[in-house]
Amino acid sequence: MPSSSCTTDPEANGVPAQTPPATRRFWHIGFRRRIQLWGVAFVLPALLFFAVFKYGPMLWAIGLSLTSYDMVSQPSFVGLENYQSLASDPIFQVTLLNTLVYIGVSTVLITLIGLALALAINTGVPYARHCMTAMFLTNLMPVIAVCLVWKFLLHPFGPITQLLAPFGAARIDWVTNSATAMPSIIAVTVWRFAPYFMVVFLAGLLAIPDDYYEAAQLDGANAVRRFWHVTLPLLTPVIFFVVVVSALLCARIFLLPYFITGGGPGSATRVLSMLIYDTGFSYLKMGRAAAISVVLFAIMMVFTVLQMRLFMRNERMLA
Amino acid sequence: MDRASLKSTMSPRNVTRRDVVTGIGAAGVGAAGAATLGRRASAQARGPLTVTIWTNDDPAQTAWYQKRAQLFNAANPNIKVDPQRFPAGELGKKVSVGFATGTAPEGFLTFDFLMPVWLDKNLVAPLDVQRLGYASIDSFTGDHPPAALSNLVKDGKAYGLPTWFHAFSNWINLKHFKEAGLDPDKDAPQTWEQFGQVAKRLTIKDRDKFIRQGGKFAMHSPVWTMIQFNPILLQCGGAWFDASGKCTVNNAAGVRAMTIRASLVREYGAEDPADSVATNPLPMMDWLRERTSMFLVHPVHPNAIKSQNPRMFADGDYRAIRYPGLEPGKGYATTYGFVLTVNAQAPKEKQDVLHDFYKFFMAEPLEVWKETAPFAHVRRAGGWQQDPVVTGFPNAKWLLQSREEGVALPRTLVFNELGDAMHRAVQKIVLNNADIQASLNEAAAEVDRATAAYRRA
Repeated sequence: MPSSSCTTDPEANGVPAQTPPATRRFWHIGFRRRIQLWGVAFVLPALLFFAVFKYGPMLWAIGLSLTSYDMVSQPSFVGLENYQSLASDPIFQVTLLNTLVYIGVSTVLITLIGLALALAINTGVPYARHCMTAMFLTNLMPVIAVCLVWKFLLHPFGPITQLLAPFGAARIDWVTNSATAMPSIIAVTVWRFAPYFMVVFLAGLLAIPDDYYEAAQLDGANAVRRFWHVTLPLLTPVIFFVVVVSALLCARIFLLPYFITGGGPGSATRVLSMLIYDTGFSYLKMGRAAAISVVLFAIMMVFTVLQMRLFMRNERMLA
Repeated sequence: MDRASLKSTMSPRNVTRRDVVTGIGAAGVGAAGAATLGRRASAQARGPLTVTIWTNDDPAQTAWYQKRAQLFNAANPNIKVDPQRFPAGELGKKVSVGFATGTAPEGFLTFDFLMPVWLDKNLVAPLDVQRLGYASIDSFTGDHPPAALSNLVKDGKAYGLPTWFHAFSNWINLKHFKEAGLDPDKDAPQTWEQFGQVAKRLTIKDRDKFIRQGGKFAMHSPVWTMIQFNPILLQCGGAWFDASGKCTVNNAAGVRAMTIRASLVREYGAEDPADSVATNPLPMMDWLRERTSMFLVHPVHPNAIKSQNPRMFADGDYRAIRYPGLEPGKGYATTYGFVLTVNAQAPKEKQDVLHDFYKFFMAEPLEVWKETAPFAHVRRAGGWQQDPVVTGFPNAKWLLQSREEGVALPRTLVFNELGDAMHRAVQKIVLNNADIQASLNEAAAEVDRATAAYRRA
């Protein structure tokens, strides 16, 4: 039979080499390469999801910030005009300052109070777990409920003022006075988020081996020195995480000031996310709203990068 | 084809994965195409012509929309009018997004003070008043109070059909007046000065705490701030804008008007503005619960009084009176209303259907009154206002008269910016005792920036 005399090499048989069909080519590639391709295939839906719903809109927003767009007409390119007008807008400047103050103070307080709570619970005081559960419940409450409850608590003659009555407080305009409105909003924010980060800190504390503390104790280090020289350095990555994540959370805050103060009195508690909402959906200036959101994004990006560099330098020094 | 060749054709070894995937894809595309074509074919088979209208969520108004739509649809089997409801405060934003995404309905309801924006962007079609049952634009105009049309007529054409239309009044608590030794008939305030003085007499305080506020302005929303301040500004001879479009709320008349607005807190000490900010989602709740004796508000439904304060309802201890003015008997208030419009991008046949439905919708003002009183349709014609059902309703005479005397909110393309700027100014002035002139200067500058930005765009 002629076929039985054929070798496996087609050219040896005088037959020109043919490219195998594409489908076969895929199955003939190396195992390692195929695994990689399968990996890409599995990741692809997630990548597509992020591309369509996250990075796509981000790029779209950046593009939109260079246009004048009222939602009903076609966007028209205006270059950097939106950014230039923001630079000279007193409302934007006040709102930006409010936002930076809000983020800065809230982040510091959330980190300190979250850490303090975690340390307190980690000492093994009685009913610590019950306390932790009770405190964590603040995160499970719907934001609207939180706003309504705090609006009631912060009434000029409400329960908090009543608590302070023995100290001579008859009336405190918590949310209707420019001086106290922002601190009140920050207090509600810390109340809501500190317990969440307390759990994160607690996980970090539990991950520190007891050996370090025993060694330090043998060397005569008291509680403060143990905290300063053992706990804090080993907790640095967690602190970095908490600072960055809480700052990002605060940068996006909207509902708390929107429902409790409406941004007032005046512009005392107006933050950038509220200005973005008003500018886009109330004033129909989508291009300008996009420019404000790009500014907010840039601020948070710079903040995060600075934090990263700071903490990496600290880690290197500790190492 | 012989059996062997058939077998070889059907052999799985001849079908690659690509073939399978391609086949599935082709089948999917085919199915989708068939479905689309099917829908188109069914639409072409003379299904009912659906016309969507976005309306607000007021329960009484919603019921009337549904009722009229059902009757209209029953009388026109080839047409389906579909009223869909949304929260009134969000409806404008919803419509904007609808236009942005190409999903705007054929018709929509809007506040009359938002009409200038829709007009400026050519989003609403001019109405054919003859199709609405009017002989001419003049007869259309004659059927409405002047303020009802001030924001929706342009170049002699009407771009919206007013429906429910109200004016604010001063709602007073008669029991409180008697308790304070005041005669509601003689002592009811007619001027702003009297308003402050009477409010002061009605106020009951325990040191810093108000047991009862004599009078009250709403502090919860920019639109309410505008509605309540607008007549004071106009009564003082002020204007929101000059002929060039510059905001003039910070001139002498504006400062005088704001001084009057703030006097209830600053001069008479008869109001706690922080109280309503901190507590009430429903602005008239303080008045309904008798925590304030006078409140400037739109018509209040008797059922609202009955549900919140049965005693006050049973004793009839309330009355709507004229908004205060600078001179006795010359006070007037802001009017506002809901306007039906036609989407300029809607096909002609749907625009025609909307006209027919709107005409039908507005045809029986007396029936509307029976179902939604004291909220009433705007029309004057038909003599319905003289019907005993109307005249026998508490406060009806004044509530209808106040619409004729009222003034509209300013016709501006930056209404939301103006409202926000004024709201912030009022907050600073009455909550934080800020300087009136400086606060109004800031507000005017903010509005001018918004106007300039709008013009640039």
